[in-house]
Amino acid sequence: MYGILVDVTRCTGCEKCVDACIKANNSNYEKAQIDSVAARDGLSANRLSSIIKLENGHFARKSCMHCLEPSCVSACLVGSLTKTPEGAVVYDPSKCIGCRYCMLACPFHIPRYEWDSTHPYVMKCAMCIDRIQDGKLPACVEACPEQAMIFGHRDELLKKARRRIAANPEKYINHVWGEREFGGTAVMYISDVDLGKLDWPKVPASAIPELTEPLISKTPVIAMSVMGGILSINWIIGRRMKLAAERRSQAENLEPEVKKDQDDEQ
Amino acid sequence: MSSKLRIIKDILWFFAFLALIAGIFRLWYGLGPTTALSDEMPWGLWKVMNMIAGVAISTSGFTIGFLVYVLKMERFRPLVKPAILIAFLGYGSSCLALLFDIGLPHRFWHPLVMWNEHSFLFEVFWCVMLYFTVTTIELSPTILKRFGAEKLSHWLHRIAFGVVVVGITLSSLHHSSLGSLFLVTPLRLHALWYSAWLPLFFIISAMAAGLMFIIFVRIAYARLYDPDPIYGLRMDSGIKSNGSEFFATPQMKNLALLGAIASSILGIYLILKFVDLARAGELMLLFNGSWESWLFMFELFVAALLPIILTVIPRVRRSPAGLGTAAFLASFGLVLNRMNVGIFGYFHDTAQPYFPSLAEWGLSLGVIAAAALVFMFISEQFPIFDESWRRRMEKSDVFTYAFDKLSHVWNTVLMSGLQRVTLIAVLAIPLAWLLFYPPFKADDTTDGRIKPAIGLDQTRTVLLIDGNRDGVKTEFPHVDHQNRLGKEQSCQKCHHIAMPRDNATPCYRCHSNMLDSAEIFDHFGHMQLVAEKEKLDGLHPKNHSCSNCHNPALPNTASDAKACTECHKEDMKLGNEPYARLQLASASPYRSAMHENCIECHKKEEIKQNKPNLAHCSTCHKSLEPVNLKIAKSADTIKALPEPLTLAR
Repeated sequence: MYGILVDVTRCTGCEKCVDACIKANNSNYEKAQIDSVAARDGLSANRLSSIIKLENGHFARKSCMHCLEPSCVSACLVGSLTKTPEGAVVYDPSKCIGCRYCMLACPFHIPRYEWDSTHPYVMKCAMCIDRIQDGKLPACVEACPEQAMIFGHRDELLKKARRRIAANPEKYINHVWGEREFGGTAVMYISDVDLGKLDWPKVPASAIPELTEPLISKTPVIAMSVMGGILSINWIIGRRMKLAAERRSQAENLEPEVKKDQDDEQ
Repeated sequence: MSSKLRIIKDILWFFAFLALIAGIFRLWYGLGPTTALSDEMPWGLWKVMNMIAGVAISTSGFTIGFLVYVLKMERFRPLVKPAILIAFLGYGSSCLALLFDIGLPHRFWHPLVMWNEHSFLFEVFWCVMLYFTVTTIELSPTILKRFGAEKLSHWLHRIAFGVVVVGITLSSLHHSSLGSLFLVTPLRLHALWYSAWLPLFFIISAMAAGLMFIIFVRIAYARLYDPDPIYGLRMDSGIKSNGSEFFATPQMKNLALLGAIASSILGIYLILKFVDLARAGELMLLFNGSWESWLFMFELFVAALLPIILTVIPRVRRSPAGLGTAAFLASFGLVLNRMNVGIFGYFHDTAQPYFPSLAEWGLSLGVIAAAALVFMFISEQFPIFDESWRRRMEKSDVFTYAFDKLSHVWNTVLMSGLQRVTLIAVLAIPLAWLLFYPPFKADDTTDGRIKPAIGLDQTRTVLLIDGNRDGVKTEFPHVDHQNRLGKEQSCQKCHHIAMPRDNATPCYRCHSNMLDSAEIFDHFGHMQLVAEKEKLDGLHPKNHSCSNCHNPALPNTASDAKACTECHKEDMKLGNEPYARLQLASASPYRSAMHENCIECHKKEEIKQNKPNLAHCSTCHKSLEPVNLKIAKSADTIKALPEPLTLAR
């Protein structure tokens, strides 16, 4: 399980990682430049990562966080999005029907859509999965001149982050963003400023699939109990009506006094 | 056919033609040019109003089925067929609109074979598809009977109960799952609407509003086609009332009972809504005066409170107008609720509010109009409203002869209105073309307004400029410039880097340091270079280094200066690197270009002169404080500035 650790204190905002990302994904460079200002966070179908300006002249890279329990993977109805053993959340365009539920489901607003295309797909960072499988670094990590991003096994990165914070406690905020948020993410941040602009929640939130999966796993139970309920209600009412009809037909044949007695019994 | 009905049909046809054109444009040009959808609002009108609200309002198919088949309330039997027809058309039109909404409509069948059973959308897809099949099976006996397929129709009647049970089960699943769809947006959807109880709210409100909607349809049908069973017999054909002011026809009494059932469900819904808010500790959000709180209260007022009040009063409940109003309000309230959960509840999280494009409205309303037309056609041609049907048969209204495929029955029905419909099409299609044609869509860049830059300190109203890059700053007199250059229209003379589709360009796109020079072109550096080259003494104006680029006879402006490429032949080779091409689109390549100019040489020198870290960022950028590196010496001479990306010179 790989991951990326982003040290916000080292990022200079040079956008070399973004350029490398555009090159690695064969995106349209001109469109990417236009989208860099058109979108709120600079992310678009042509620009899968961007640099967000934080307060006090700090910068941070924004791209897919590759959650450990990804909401988009759980939401996609055709299983177009999957989490690979390497830790990347990847998209298979051959399955996608274009419902855009993943875009709604992602807590970080990451998946983008090719709105201008007549045959549009969802676009998102795949952590350069083909490069990782070739034994190379993700393009953004490789391009960073300041080593603001480190690629490695997630556990080791977490240890490294803790070490850095411990070595410089007055500089860093004692928090590793991505350690627990939304069930943990493969891309983690350490910083000396608040990272709310990257859509990190103020209070570490649980994984989004945890909100839906307990419910959806009960679907067969709900279906069976609804069906059972309907049938039993139907049977009870049918029987009561049958008994009432019998009683009525009896009552018509009997004397009025007896009928009154029967009513009292009820 | 009455003229009122004719006009209503004409209007519906008009909208249907609008939808036709909107649909063609959507398929031809794609989602981006035709809709107002964006990465911030991926779900819009088609999905929320047509699909989610459309499915919710067609609940009557299962609620009436439950009342009649399961609870054996035979008095509602006359509503079964209309309810099934509503469900059939509601689901059918929703799916039709959805086909236009999904990005790759030809792949709509993918969820049939590609499963992800963890997804609520997957469950919704399967349930909606199966339930649509169920409604088709339920509806087919009525249709098939007229075609003479008695045997098949009889057989279908025999399995009706089983089909209804399956239908109710499927409905209870997918109506709640439509609410569960939004469980994944805990941090985006406004807290007033987001709740763990969303699935519960969705199914309860859909049940109530579905009943209300069939009441509305029944009363509307009576008004348009056959008022007697609802409005009472006409004076000439019998007694109108028995003198009591609470008089109502038996059918109307049934509807009133149904209305009472619906509003008691609405009552439960209303109570649960407030219990939920209290449970989450969000009751105070109701009174914080935000537009969401007002919208929330308006929604509950229209969707629940007002219909309940109206139906509680017996006199209103038993009058077709009163009950019809209550039913309409509840149905409208349901749609509003779905729009709030699906669209309005997200506005606090998006940069700019989403307003559906004209084509979106056209397709949305047109599909609904088409469904209404089909409803009218089927209810006219088939015994959907049994009582009315019998009466019309007796009165020999339209149906003088038994149905015969080869007779001209269909011909007359279809042909009678064809000329009129053609006329409407001739009017509607060019209008739709004008309204929806994507290239006519207003472009954001043409509105000419200058918006405040992102990232600019809003508290700092004064812009400091340092044109000479010598540390001496001066206040930029914005107002003076505006007055001199032509008021508000002149803003773009300077703010020329308004990029395409850009609303507010962040300053740091060009100015990595707002306190630093606001001038992109380095005059000072160029003058120095020219002076060196021409062996001129310093920068005195007499030396005329300006005239190397500017025409001395003209005022020195950017437009009459030399083109950059005249000198920088290698640096800015057109088509060679993207930098030169991007000059017009964005200014950010400036930064990259400078880097390329410096760093390449630094890298060479680093090896040649054996000076480690010469090519390191912090050699030039002073405030980087790298962990293993002392601050580069040259940077110490530069005045300390708060921004990290200050180029040391």
